[in-house]
Amino acid sequence: MEYEVRSKKKTRAIPWVFFVCVAILSSSFFLPPTSFAYTSPGKPTGLVNDFAGIISSQEIQSIGQKLISLNQTTGAEVVVVTISTIGDDETIESYAEKLFKEWGIGNKETDTGLLLLVAVNDRQMRIETGYGIEGAVTDIQAGNIIRNVMTPAFKEGKYGQGISDAVDALTAIISGSPEAAQYSVEPKSTGSSGWNFQGIFFAFIIVINILSRILGATKSWWLGGILGALAGGIVGIFTGFFPIGIGAIVLLTLFGLLFDFIVSKRPPGSGGGGFWPMVLGGHGGKSGGFGGFGGGSSGGGGSSGRW
Amino acid sequence: MKKTLLIVGILALVAVVYTWSSYNGLVAAREAVTAQWQQVETLYQRRFDLIPNLVASVKGVLNQEQTVFADIANARAKYSGAQSVGDKATAANQVESALSRLLVIVENYPTLKSSETVRDLMTQLEGSENRISVERGRFNESVKTFNTTIKKFPKNIFASLFGFDVIEYFEAQTGAENAPKVDLVQ
Repeated sequence: MEYEVRSKKKTRAIPWVFFVCVAILSSSFFLPPTSFAYTSPGKPTGLVNDFAGIISSQEIQSIGQKLISLNQTTGAEVVVVTISTIGDDETIESYAEKLFKEWGIGNKETDTGLLLLVAVNDRQMRIETGYGIEGAVTDIQAGNIIRNVMTPAFKEGKYGQGISDAVDALTAIISGSPEAAQYSVEPKSTGSSGWNFQGIFFAFIIVINILSRILGATKSWWLGGILGALAGGIVGIFTGFFPIGIGAIVLLTLFGLLFDFIVSKRPPGSGGGGFWPMVLGGHGGKSGGFGGFGGGSSGGGGSSGRW
Repeated sequence: MKKTLLIVGILALVAVVYTWSSYNGLVAAREAVTAQWQQVETLYQRRFDLIPNLVASVKGVLNQEQTVFADIANARAKYSGAQSVGDKATAANQVESALSRLLVIVENYPTLKSSETVRDLMTQLEGSENRISVERGRFNESVKTFNTTIKKFPKNIFASLFGFDVIEYFEAQTGAENAPKVDLVQ
């Protein structure tokens, strides 16, 4: 009897399963095609990225120093990039916009990034301004720097000199503008806030791991509830017992009971990495060196030129 | 019996929560498209604010090029009269082609090119054009995200249930990618 009912259900289920599979497959096939004409020059190596190899190492050093001090005093993140070519399907404008977006130049909140891009073989250059710096470095000023500072030097093949002078001009404009003051909200905030978040996340994982080992070792699950209540009490001491403290005690007690219940159910010794071993093991870690930019964006502001 | 009831209850709850979050997700995606279009319109306005200055500073020299100025004026009038997104896009495309024609003409007049005012205005207009193309590209991207979402299973069910329609892409005028030709011997 039981068996018959089950088999009936199964046969009825097959067309449904088939339909769902077809729907899922077909929906992923009809995505609009995307174009991938833009080729990234690679990962940023710092504020000066000489992919084309046209700047001497001393000049890279000195330009980098200027850019770091500009970043520390104003918060503006100016990045120099040289590449050999932008490719056939891109304009210098579209390439600069895509690179800006890929690297996320500038602070995410203030968008005070600026990209100085030089494509040597195409003999083209561009200053691309982030949303937040458009008011300080206007298109006209960017155009003037390209025409009057960079073009003459580039024509003589003095790339490092031209870029260095352009950085000086940009520094003067950015730190001299009335908006310069508003860029200086907590310099270097981008890097540290990212680390903090990661730190909290890791502390959380570690605490969960330790707790799961301790609580999982005992078959009972009342200990978790007591720990939860204690944690709630601590919250209550800091925030006042009514209503947050009481709520925290109730919630954390329930959470602790549930947590202990779950970890005690698992047979001891099965979990090599404790609770959530995948989360802890899956973290690859950033390779050493440059940490990347703040996630800022640009809207196509700035100016371009040829030499 | 009790167990079945519990399972049905849980399934119903899951269905409700899923519908809820799907609907909110679709609303958010559509709002993102609208916001992006506002960005494009803001830039159109900026372009219109720049045009009269450029026209005023070059009109005296470009006596033979009256058709360009007439075209720009016509397209502007059409844009301010346009109501729907489609009409606005069409009018904006007309402004664009007339404007790029004017820019090419100015390039061919050495007296104009060497004037600082004209050069600065040109720089501003170029910046404005580039901003427009960037934001329009992002508009199309957000439209693509939205359209893909509402066409894919299982969101397509909710989309048709709640009446979310496909949004049209902003299509560049045919031939807009070709540089405009200028015949100075007219």
